[in-house]
Amino acid sequence: MADFIKRLLRTPQGAIGVLLVLLVLVIVLFGPMLAPHDPETLAPLTRYKGPSAAYWLGTDQYGRDIFSRLLIGARATVVMAVLATIAGTLLGAFVGTTSAFLGGRADELIMRTIDAVMSIPSLLFALLVVNLLGSSTVNALIAVAIAFAPGMARITRSVALSVRKQDYVNAAVARGESSAYIILREMLPNVIAPIIVEMTIRISFAVMLFATLSFLGLGAQPPAAEWGLMVSEARRYMHLSAGILIWPSVAIAVVAVGFNLLGDGLRDALNPRT
Amino acid sequence: MTTKPETPVLAIENYSLDYDTASGVFHALKNIDLSVHRGEILGLVGESGSGKTSLAWSIMRYLPKNAREPGGRILLSGENLLEKTDAQIEAFRGRRISMVFQDPSTSLNPTLSLGTQLAEVLVRHRGLTRKQAWKEGEAMLDRVGLKTPAAMMNRMPHEASGGEKQRVVIASAFACNPECIIFDEPTTALDVITSCQILDLFVELQAETGVASLYISHDLALVSRTASRVAVIRRGDIVEQGAVRDIFANPQQDYTRELIAAVPDPARRLVGDIVVDTDKPLVRVENVSVHYGRKPFLAALTGRATERVAGNNAISLSINPGEVLGIVGESGSGKSTLAKAMTGLNRFEGKIWFDGREIRNLGDMDNAYRKDVQIIFQHPDASLNPRQKISEILSRPLKLFGDASHLDQKVGDMLEQVRLPRTHAQRYPHQLSGGEKQRVAIARAFASKPKLVICDEITSALDVSVQASIVQLLLELQKASGTAYLFITHDLNLIRQIAHRIAVMYRGNLVEIAPAADIDSQDRAEYTRRLIEAVPRAAGQYL
Amino acid sequence: MSPNYIAKRLVMIVYTLFIVSLIVFAITQILPADAAVMMLGENATQDALAALRENMGLNAPVWQQYAIWLGHVLQGDLGTSLRTGQPVGPVMFEALGRSLLLAFLSIGLMLVLAIPLGIIAAVRRGKIADMVVSLISYAGVALPEFVTATVAVLVFADLMKWLPPTGYVPLTENFAGGIAHLVLPVCVISVILIAHVSRMVRSELVDVLHTDYIRAARLKGISRGQVLRRHALRNALLPTITIVALDVGYLLGGVIVVEEIFAIPGIGRQLIVAIQARDLPAIQAGVLIMAATYSIVNFIADILYAWLDKRIQYG
Repeated sequence: MADFIKRLLRTPQGAIGVLLVLLVLVIVLFGPMLAPHDPETLAPLTRYKGPSAAYWLGTDQYGRDIFSRLLIGARATVVMAVLATIAGTLLGAFVGTTSAFLGGRADELIMRTIDAVMSIPSLLFALLVVNLLGSSTVNALIAVAIAFAPGMARITRSVALSVRKQDYVNAAVARGESSAYIILREMLPNVIAPIIVEMTIRISFAVMLFATLSFLGLGAQPPAAEWGLMVSEARRYMHLSAGILIWPSVAIAVVAVGFNLLGDGLRDALNPRT
Repeated sequence: MTTKPETPVLAIENYSLDYDTASGVFHALKNIDLSVHRGEILGLVGESGSGKTSLAWSIMRYLPKNAREPGGRILLSGENLLEKTDAQIEAFRGRRISMVFQDPSTSLNPTLSLGTQLAEVLVRHRGLTRKQAWKEGEAMLDRVGLKTPAAMMNRMPHEASGGEKQRVVIASAFACNPECIIFDEPTTALDVITSCQILDLFVELQAETGVASLYISHDLALVSRTASRVAVIRRGDIVEQGAVRDIFANPQQDYTRELIAAVPDPARRLVGDIVVDTDKPLVRVENVSVHYGRKPFLAALTGRATERVAGNNAISLSINPGEVLGIVGESGSGKSTLAKAMTGLNRFEGKIWFDGREIRNLGDMDNAYRKDVQIIFQHPDASLNPRQKISEILSRPLKLFGDASHLDQKVGDMLEQVRLPRTHAQRYPHQLSGGEKQRVAIARAFASKPKLVICDEITSALDVSVQASIVQLLLELQKASGTAYLFITHDLNLIRQIAHRIAVMYRGNLVEIAPAADIDSQDRAEYTRRLIEAVPRAAGQYL
Repeated sequence: MSPNYIAKRLVMIVYTLFIVSLIVFAITQILPADAAVMMLGENATQDALAALRENMGLNAPVWQQYAIWLGHVLQGDLGTSLRTGQPVGPVMFEALGRSLLLAFLSIGLMLVLAIPLGIIAAVRRGKIADMVVSLISYAGVALPEFVTATVAVLVFADLMKWLPPTGYVPLTENFAGGIAHLVLPVCVISVILIAHVSRMVRSELVDVLHTDYIRAARLKGISRGQVLRRHALRNALLPTITIVALDVGYLLGGVIVVEEIFAIPGIGRQLIVAIQARDLPAIQAGVLIMAATYSIVNFIADILYAWLDKRIQYG
C-alpha cells in the first residue's frame, strides 16, 4: 500500500490530484464547522461586497457570505456526485461483467441494448428522469446514476473480456470451478483496478452534470448552497458583481480537475508496466 | 572467415551502457569488446535480459532517454558512432548499417503497402525518384526469392504471410548495400519450415554481398548453424567468444557449458521406451472436430451456407497410461485447439473415451474427469492469477478435488515437490521468476494426482537453461506418479527426447503418429520429412 | 468492408431506435401528467375529459397505445403537441436544422484546433508544449458548458461588447449577423470537445510512436518528421473518427444547455420547453430525433473507419 501511494505521488498528475481531492474531502467533512457565517442569513446592507477580512470572497445578491456558502455547498455538490457515480458504476459493472461472462448472443443483445441507451445523451436522460420523478436532489442522484450505468457497463465489459481470455480463467474453467467463483475470485479482482480509474474520472463529470441540472432548475432548489445553483442564480446579477459568478465556477472546476488528475494518476500508478 | 582485413567493419571497444531507473542505476552492458569483419557472421547468444538487444540499440544509436554511456566506443569502419550528430546517424541508418527485426508483423506499418515501405529506403538513401525506387524494389523482392514481386509490392502487410513479410524486411535491410547488418532474432516469430527458408536466404545473401553481420539469438543451435564466430553474453557481460567449433568442443566457462548442455539433442533420449499397451488406452480421441466462429450476419439472415473455420478436423488418437505423446505442428495447426477441447475449454464434435467412459460434450466432463485431466499453459504469467497468493492458487484444486484439511501442510509439500521453497506460498506470482512460476503451475496441475497432464507449449516462453530444468522436473514427476503426458510443442528436438510417440499436425489435420525413434525415417509423410529437415541440428552435431 | 458489415450496422440502427422508442414511451407513460387535462385545462368537465381520453386512445392498454404511437411514427407522424396543438414533426425538424448547424460548426472548430494540439503534445511529450496543452485540456474538461457560456457572455458581450449576448438570426436573413450570434455558442460547445479530443489524439499518437514499425522506420534512416507524417499520423488519427462520433452524444447534451443559455431555437431548447410543459408527444419526438441523429453519425463514422482502415475484414 505504501508502495502504491509512492507510485501515485510520483507523477505530477497524481500528486496534484491527491492534494485537490484531499482539500475537497476536508471541506466536505468540516465545511459547515469552518464556515464563518450562516449561509442563508439575508443581509440587504452588505450585498455585492468585494472580498474583505469579514467576507473572504465577498457577498452575493442577498448579502450572504459566498465563502461560507461554498464550504457548506460542497456536501450537496460533491457527495451527491460521488454517490451517484458509485451507484452507476456498481450497476454498470454488474451488467458489464455478466455480459462478458455470458458471451455469445446474450452478450451481443445486452451490449446492443446498452448502445441504444447510450444514444440518448446523458444530460437529456437525466433531464427526463428528474422530470418524471420530480426535481429534487435524490432524484437527480438516481438520474445521474442511471445515465452513467451504460458507459460503465461498456468499459467493464471490455476489461472483463480481456480478463476472460487470460489463461488463469481458462485454468479455473478447466478445473471445473463454479461460475460464481470464477467471476468473484478470479475475474473481479483483476477488473476492479481499471474501473476505479474510470470511476474517479467520472466523478468530475457527475459534479458537472449535477451542477448543470441545478442550473436548469431541475436539481437542488433555492436557497440551497449547491454550486451549480449558485452559478445559475448569479447570472442575473453578474453585471453587479463578477465574484458571485466566478467563485462557485472555480469551486466546480477545482473538484472536476482534482478528480480528473487523480484518475490519471491512478491509471499510471496501477499500470504494472511503469 | 577466410581473410581478415585490417579494420573490422564493426568494432565495439570497452563499451558500457547504464539505465537510470527508479530503483537506481542498472548496468545493462559492461565493458563489451566485439568486432565483426567484412564477410563475417558473428553470433551473439544470450538469454532474455542478457543485454543482447540493448547492444543492438546502442549500435543503431536508438537509446531511450534514461540510457547513459559511461565509456567505450562503437566504430563503424573506424568512425566512432558515439561522436556523430543526430543528422549524421540518420544518414547512416539504413544506408551503411541496417537491421532486421524479430517480428515482421509488428515491424511493418500495417497501413502502408509493402512496396511503399521498401521504396522509401531507396528514395531516402539512394536518391531515386519514387518511380525508380518502385522498379528497383521489385528487383529486390525478386532477389529475396518472392515469386510475384510486382504483385507483392502492392500488397498490404496483412495480405502477406509471415515469411513473405520477413523477406520484405530483409530486402529493405540489404537495399542500400550496407557495410553491416544486425539481425535481431529474425526467425523467432516464424514457423519451423519458414524460418529454415529465411535462414537459407540470409546465408545466401550474406555470402553474395559479404556484409558484416551481427546475428543475435537466444538459440545456440541456430546460431552455430550460420555464424563463424560466437559470443556468449550474460547479464551484460561477454562471457566467452571464439570460433563456433572451439566454443562447442572446448567451452571455457560453466555458463557456456550449461547452455550447450541445455540444447535438446534428439539423440539423447530422456525416457525409457516402455512397451506400449494399445489394448487399453487411457484416452481415446475419436473423430474430434472443433469449429470456430459464428455464421456471418447476412448468411444467417439469408440462410446461405458458409464455411466455418475448422480448428480441428476429425482428429483420432489415443494415449496409453504412463505414456508421453508428443504433438508437433506449426502455429495454427490445431495443437492447442485439441488441448482445449480435451479440457472443456472448446466445444467439440466427436467422442472422447477416458478410462472407459464416454465423453460426448462439455456436460459429460464431470468433477472426476476434470480431476484426472489437467492442463498446464504456455505462459505462466497468464495462467497464474496476479492477484492471488501462491497458497491460494495451489489450495484451490485441493479444495475442489480432495480433502481440504491441513491445507498449509499440503501446499508446502506441493511446492517442495516442484523444488520450490515452502515459503513461496506467501508470495504473489509477480515476485517469482518465469521458471518458478511455471513450477507453481506444474504443482497446481499435479495437486489432484491426475492420470493425464496436457502440457501446452509449457517450455517455449522460457530460456533454454530454465527449459531444461522444467523438462527434467516433469520427467521426474512422471516417473514417480506414472502420469501420462500429452506434450504439445513446436520444438521437434525436445519432443524427440522425451516422447514415446509423436503426432504431427498440420492445418487442423492429424498428419500421422509415429514412434519417436522412427520420426526421422524416410517412410514418414512428406510434411513430417520437411519438418524434420527444417529443424536446426542439435548443438552437439557441430563437433 | 463487406455488404455484410453494412447490413449489420443498419440493423443495429433499427434496433437502437426501437429500444429508444421503448424507453421514451415508457418514461412518458410514467410521467404523472394527464394528456387530456393538459389539453382541456384544469376546469374541464369529467365528461369532456372522458370523451377526449376515449378519443385519444388513452384508455387502451399501454402496449396498444405504444403500437399505435409506433405505427404513426413509422408513417412519419410524430404526433401533435399538447402545448401548441401543432404537429410536432415539422417543428422539431426545423429546430434540428439549427442545432445541426451549431453542431457542425463546433465539430469543425474542434477538429481544426484539437488535432494540431494533440499532435504537438505527443511529439513534444514531457516538454513545455505538452504541459500547456494538457493544462488547456484539464481546464476544458473541468468547466461545464453553463459556466463557460455565462462567463463568455459576461466578458465578450457585456463587458467588451464585441458580440451579441444571446439570440439567433437565420444565416439566410443576415449572414454576418447570424455568424456573429453563433460565435460564442460554437466556442463554448467546442471547449470540452477540444479538451477531450486533443487528449485522445495525444495518447493515440504516443502509442503509435512507441510501436515496432515506427522504430523500424526510424532505423531505416527516415527522418523524424517524415516518419511522423507518413507512418504515424494516419494510424493515430484513424481512431479519432470513432472518438469524435461518440462525442456527438456529449455534444448533443451540450447543445441543450447552450441553446438554453443563448436562446437559440434549436432542438435542445424545444426539448427543454417540452419537458417543462410535460408535452408528451414533443418529448417523445425530440428524444427519438436526437437518438437517431447520434446513431446515424456513428453509423457513418464506422463505415468511414472501415473504408479507411483496410486492415480489418469486417464480418
